[in-house]
Amino acid sequence: MAPRWPWILVAVAVIALLPHLLGTPYWRGILVICAMNVMLALSLNLILGYTGQLNLGQSGFFAVGAYVTTVLVKSFGWGFWPAALAAVAAAGTLGLLLALFAVRLRGHYLAIASLGFAVITYQVLVNWESMTEGVRGIYAIRPPPPIRIDGLVDISFSSPMMLFYLVAGIALLVYLALDNVVRSPIGETLRAIREDEVSAASLGIDAARWKAFAFGLGAAVAGLAGCFYPSFVGTLVPGAFNIVESFTMLAMVIVGGLGTMIGPVIGAVVLTFLPELLRGVGELRLLVYGLALTLVVLFMPGGLVQAWQLLRARFAGGRP
Amino acid sequence: MPDLLSLVVQQTINGVYLGCLYVMVALGLTLIYGVMNQINFAHADFVTVGAFVALFTMTRLATKMLGMPEVAGYLLSIVFALGAGALLGLAVNAAVFAPLRDRGDELRPLIATIGVSVLLENGQLALFGPIPYQFDSPLAKETLRFGKIFFSLQNVLVVAVSAAAVAALYAFLKFTFLGKALRAVSQDRETSGLMGINQSFLIGLTIVIASALAGMGGALLGPGLVLDPFAGATVIVKAFAIVIIGGFGNLAGTILAGILVGIIEAFTIQYLGAGLIDLVVFVLLLTMLVVKPTGLIAERREENV
Repeated sequence: MAPRWPWILVAVAVIALLPHLLGTPYWRGILVICAMNVMLALSLNLILGYTGQLNLGQSGFFAVGAYVTTVLVKSFGWGFWPAALAAVAAAGTLGLLLALFAVRLRGHYLAIASLGFAVITYQVLVNWESMTEGVRGIYAIRPPPPIRIDGLVDISFSSPMMLFYLVAGIALLVYLALDNVVRSPIGETLRAIREDEVSAASLGIDAARWKAFAFGLGAAVAGLAGCFYPSFVGTLVPGAFNIVESFTMLAMVIVGGLGTMIGPVIGAVVLTFLPELLRGVGELRLLVYGLALTLVVLFMPGGLVQAWQLLRARFAGGRP
Repeated sequence: MPDLLSLVVQQTINGVYLGCLYVMVALGLTLIYGVMNQINFAHADFVTVGAFVALFTMTRLATKMLGMPEVAGYLLSIVFALGAGALLGLAVNAAVFAPLRDRGDELRPLIATIGVSVLLENGQLALFGPIPYQFDSPLAKETLRFGKIFFSLQNVLVVAVSAAAVAALYAFLKFTFLGKALRAVSQDRETSGLMGINQSFLIGLTIVIASALAGMGGALLGPGLVLDPFAGATVIVKAFAIVIIGGFGNLAGTILAGILVGIIEAFTIQYLGAGLIDLVVFVLLLTMLVVKPTGLIAERREENV
């Protein structure tokens, strides 16, 4: 296997350069959203791409990350970082709880039950007004506090550029961590469950346990992405977390390439920027998502990664 | 009549009315699942399309251009909505289900129809805008009163039409040759194929029937909905719950569960507030999945749970 470190250097360089290439605050804001989407797509990909479980509840975990962080900071006076940690833990724990259902259900039943989880989370956000302010929303949310070590470091996250560095840096770490997971024997185990759960069980794999692991980890990553959402947008309303958000993540994973590490990253980048480039249809961002999702499933099930491999095989001259 | 009793009777009537509407939507889902083990995620968006087609048929075509009386216009709009549903069914079958059939992958068609659903919802958003439409059924104004209990002709129409639809479906499946073939396909696809049954045709027919029901459901449900392009999303959630509670692929179970969910919804509105309906329905669903995942009436197939 080729060493990873040259690619890590490339990724770091790209992250460092991007805010300079896209210099306006608007585009830098899109970059922050993009980094968040990359994390969300990666989180779904672990469950769907590597473990073969269609989890439509990811928007719920995203919401838990966002709301737990914000409520702990604003209503309970916690610091941002402990609150974020608690939010990730809460999302991960809920993921394990959902896995209690998930390990018993397969295929369509799991898709619907997890959709139900997302709907319930959304309804709780709307109805638990004393905690979440319901549809009125929470306003004036500040970005993460500056990191200061006297005389050494002083990093403030109030500009979109610094926030992008923070979120993209964390997204890169998440990528590397998940990459390690899927390359390890754990990854083998998850793929074995995806390919054939019964055969996997006959080899002594405790499918329930490892599915729960994938659900928990995926949920925690989605929660982590959620931590940064409110501090970037500044407001928090339940509408940002309805089930359409789960479909958005699904589109990113599928369009990029299911079950590959780089696919969801590409999918998230393409589907974040494509609607921005088609400015005339800016209102119809989701139309593009729906169309892309259907067409890719029908004609190119391996997504853009597969398209790239096909192209390369063609130009490599009969050397597939 | 004592107040509590009349309240209970009134809410039960409301619940049965709602339940009939849900049954029309959920029956299609369960039919498709029974025959080909697939879920059409865009099914409830056919309801929204049906509602919009009905609204425009009634307000633009029937009453303005043809000069029909309102009630006749509404009845005509139900027929148009049914046709629109059937056409959508043809389209989704040709575009998604037929090409992906027999690939042995149960998630791909589901994901593709999620794409269709997102596409339909946002296509309607482009056409009709985000502001909810007022869809007044001329029959809703005519109310009947028995003591303290009220209901409208619209309620009567919905219950009558859905009962007729269920009866027609039952008769079709039970007494016609095609219906028999359909049951054969849903029992055992491989063997029925060996017996010379044209599966592609029957599966297409099932999807068209199911979608026509959804479209017609839109015309009937429309006046009760907040009719915007995303109205289907609130319906699909309940339709899924009903189908699972009833037992996937089981028609009788779906009807029973549909009425049950309708009644639960009516009482939830009365005692807990309308905001909690989805919550209550889904807690019920998740409880069902834990306690009895095969549904109220268990089908023979259990590989999904």
